[in-house]
Amino acid sequence: MPSRPYPTVLKPYGRALVALAQARPEVVCLTGDLTRQCEIDLFQETFPDRFIHAGMAEANMVSMAGTLARAGFMPFVHSFGVFSTRRPLDQIINSVAYPNLPVRIVGFMPGVSSPGGPSHQAIEDVALMRAIPNMTVIDVADAIETERALPLIADIPGPVYLRLKRGEIPVIFDEGHSFSLTEVARVRDGQDVALIVSGMMLSPALAAAEVLEEAGVSVQVVNVPVIKPIDATGIAATVARVRAVVTCENHSIIGGLGSAVAEVMAEAGSGRPLRRIGLRDTFAEGARTAPPLFQKYGLGTNDIIAAAWQALGRDGAAPRAAPVTASPGEYAPV
Amino acid sequence: MTSDPALGRLADRLRLNALNMVAPHGFGYLGQALSSAELFAALYANHYRPGRDRIVISPGHYIVVAFAAAAETGQMDRALLDTYGHDGAPLEAIGTEKSPAVDLTCGSLGQGLSGAVGFALGQKMKRENGARVFAMISDGELEEGQVWEAAMFAAHNRLDNLVALLDANDSQVDGPISSITTIDPIADKFESFGWAAFDVDGHDADAIDAAIARAVAAGRPAVVIARTSTRQGLACLPDGVDGHFIKLPPELADAARTELEARLA
Repeated sequence: MPSRPYPTVLKPYGRALVALAQARPEVVCLTGDLTRQCEIDLFQETFPDRFIHAGMAEANMVSMAGTLARAGFMPFVHSFGVFSTRRPLDQIINSVAYPNLPVRIVGFMPGVSSPGGPSHQAIEDVALMRAIPNMTVIDVADAIETERALPLIADIPGPVYLRLKRGEIPVIFDEGHSFSLTEVARVRDGQDVALIVSGMMLSPALAAAEVLEEAGVSVQVVNVPVIKPIDATGIAATVARVRAVVTCENHSIIGGLGSAVAEVMAEAGSGRPLRRIGLRDTFAEGARTAPPLFQKYGLGTNDIIAAAWQALGRDGAAPRAAPVTASPGEYAPV
Repeated sequence: MTSDPALGRLADRLRLNALNMVAPHGFGYLGQALSSAELFAALYANHYRPGRDRIVISPGHYIVVAFAAAAETGQMDRALLDTYGHDGAPLEAIGTEKSPAVDLTCGSLGQGLSGAVGFALGQKMKRENGARVFAMISDGELEEGQVWEAAMFAAHNRLDNLVALLDANDSQVDGPISSITTIDPIADKFESFGWAAFDVDGHDADAIDAAIARAVAAGRPAVVIARTSTRQGLACLPDGVDGHFIKLPPELADAARTELEARLA
């Protein structure tokens, strides 16, 4: 795997969607007034006849996507995560999920990756989507996963919520990375603590694992791009091989990955201590940039290290990670 | 009021079917059938072409009339009507994904016009020339903002293959719509959004029939606003009846059946 700081690329989703649309003529693209921000200016240029401006009208956009799917199209619906899940929740449920239609709801700017304040920070989108029957929920970690995921998503018969980072997208995995919709990915093996992560939290978890290893803690890192349906077998097998578990998500600790893992652990009777990294039932706020928000709300590398240290019952102060500086075009976790 | 006796009789047969579907339960969505009977009669007799056009029944409560109309026009087994609203039955009282004979129905109101817009857009993208989408909507739904999102989108995208049929019966759960929200002037609203609008007496089947024909030929999205009453066609209904959800004890059901059968005899 590449090492920190990670190289980044622009518009991996936009390119992957165009590639998918070249292979699948039924793919159509809808936008809620956030075309460039959702990387689909590439689609608009390539397939103008399959590109639909819905305007700032998310309810109408989602209900239209439902009937376009009934008519044989595969609609990809785009906005920021806050607007694509909160505003049209009833439409997602009734116009899309209940009829189990192949509509793909795409939400950019997860969690506190937006410094735009609570109106722009999707901190409960995974929880909302996870509660809906028939819905698949995906939070990919990097550009490689984005590219690999798209063709697989196209084959899911029902609706999908796809959560994507906006802007410069890190490349964390190697080109050879095999992406699965059904199995979690063990990125690093270890016996003391498992860091079970999704989306943007993979890179700080990998950084935390290195620091913990230096301090004599054996760390397993498991990436969970598909939060629902969750790979309960893979999660239970991971948990069985360690003494403590830390989940890491750029989302509220209520209803997202941490809750999903807790449910699996409880039903398996695993009895391991669990710590959940995420927003602790609070709204965040606006800022100039996102990193201070990751820091303030406990989503940084050192927060993961401290949580693992505590969950294992280690004495003394937890080790700390050396700061990593990223040059322009590079990505380093907080 | 209706000079085409066939349409008027079809409307009364829809009323009778709906009555017989609702009566075993002692209450239900009969008022919706009484108000929209002429609208459904004209639409199903003379305009809607199953297999070619799409039909959307936005308020799922109106599915009772769509079932009655589908049975009367041979698109659905008439025996199914007897299952309406019973446990485990194929015909549920509020429309669902299981509901036969329609392309879309919505129990959560205000979504059907958007669904119809999606169908209309799909027909355009697939170049299904001549295909149309008929969307039955209700006046109470106009309180939902989504309806106006859909109206704006339809006009901007020149969806001339879309016809909305609006049953303006001035009835919603809390009482007359006019006592809760002023939704008039409906035609002016739609026209200002870029639609063609035809405001007619919804119990004059000839007027409805002609308005649908003009709406189909309007060259832009069009709405037929049918001014109706949830008591129409049943003189036996007591004063102050709740048109959204009519209580129908056996004696009243018998009186209603007698009245309709006498008119159809």
